[in-house]
Amino acid sequence: MHLSYRETKTESQQGEKGYSWLFFSAGRPWLVALLVTLLLLALSVAFFVWYLHHSSDLSSDSIAGYAYAISGTICLVLAATLYSVRRRSRRRAVGQLNAALNWHVFLGILGIALLFMHSFGNFNPRTGTYALYGMIALVISGFVGRTLDRIMPRLIAGEVRKALTEQGDDRIEHISQKLQSIVVHNNERVQAFSAGSPAAAKSLVPVPFEPTKQSLNTPWDLAYISLEATPQELSAEAPQYRFIPDKKSNLARPGALMPGAQEHISELERVQQAMRREQFYRYIIRYWRLFHVALALLTVGLTIWHIVYAAQLLIPTFLH
Amino acid sequence: MRDTVLLHKTGPQIAQELQACIGCNECLLACPALAEPIRIDVLNRETFSGPISAPVARYARACYQCGACVAPCPVGLHRDAMMMWLKVRLLRSGQGE
Repeated sequence: MHLSYRETKTESQQGEKGYSWLFFSAGRPWLVALLVTLLLLALSVAFFVWYLHHSSDLSSDSIAGYAYAISGTICLVLAATLYSVRRRSRRRAVGQLNAALNWHVFLGILGIALLFMHSFGNFNPRTGTYALYGMIALVISGFVGRTLDRIMPRLIAGEVRKALTEQGDDRIEHISQKLQSIVVHNNERVQAFSAGSPAAAKSLVPVPFEPTKQSLNTPWDLAYISLEATPQELSAEAPQYRFIPDKKSNLARPGALMPGAQEHISELERVQQAMRREQFYRYIIRYWRLFHVALALLTVGLTIWHIVYAAQLLIPTFLH
Repeated sequence: MRDTVLLHKTGPQIAQELQACIGCNECLLACPALAEPIRIDVLNRETFSGPISAPVARYARACYQCGACVAPCPVGLHRDAMMMWLKVRLLRSGQGE
């Protein structure tokens, strides 16, 4: 199989095109997960409103409070474990991991809503409040992560486009070749100029250092002044060709003696900047995921702390 | 050891990787962005050149370059770089209108 990148106008017109910032595609698994989440959320809120009107025990350690705590914790545990287990599972089918990711997101939202209801508006600085804050931060970091997952690859694609030529070759290499050709061209011109004018060639070719006998025969007496011409005076009298452009001349501009080189160097810098940005965006994707996992571990720690604290209060009550 | 991120690949490198793909489907099974069934041969064919079908375009846009597809590849290919190539093609086709 031989592959060549020659995309004609007709080919690009036939298929899908464009990469909008606001692209959205909802598959069936996503819609199912959304509907189930909305249904469970609606039932939970309806029960919460009914409970507010029909019960006097509006605290986190009421029966309803425990129900919300247990169901919210189950949702968050499932959100954390199902996706991780599915990722590591050997038995997979195409699209299953995406469905698991959808459930990871929706169970996280449902879990935080249930735990909010478990608090019954009580946000005293206790273990439960810290655990709730951890969960809120975790869910927010998940939302930010999903937003970055949409934005960053689009930004990377823009930078990669700058770093590649239309034919898909490395633009840095392409520019380097152009610069090389300019240098070769200039060298050829200089050589042609040297061949055409021996006098000019003499002035352009660097003269190697030749120690003369005169320098060795210079008397040690510094007061002695020779009437003979010094080497400097001799070279000053020799015909020399030095090209010094006028300050107002276009040739005095930087890069004028190497036409096109400055533009290529600027382009090279732009490509290098694009590659640095590409790397930066990739690091953001990678490290935000690590941050989310670290926050999840912190929240698990805070939740365990809260459960231990609650158990210390509850177990003696149940035992008596 | 500092783990550096891999930058994009050029057209010839992508072509080489596509030619080396054995079609085992491991990358697609490991992908959390793929929501609908796509055949690997169709994806490979549409990645490099030619028209891009709607499912492949949706998949390319949804790919968030997590790199989950790289580790399971038995021949050490970089599907994320191939998907980036597809993204750039979509970007070019959209802005070239």
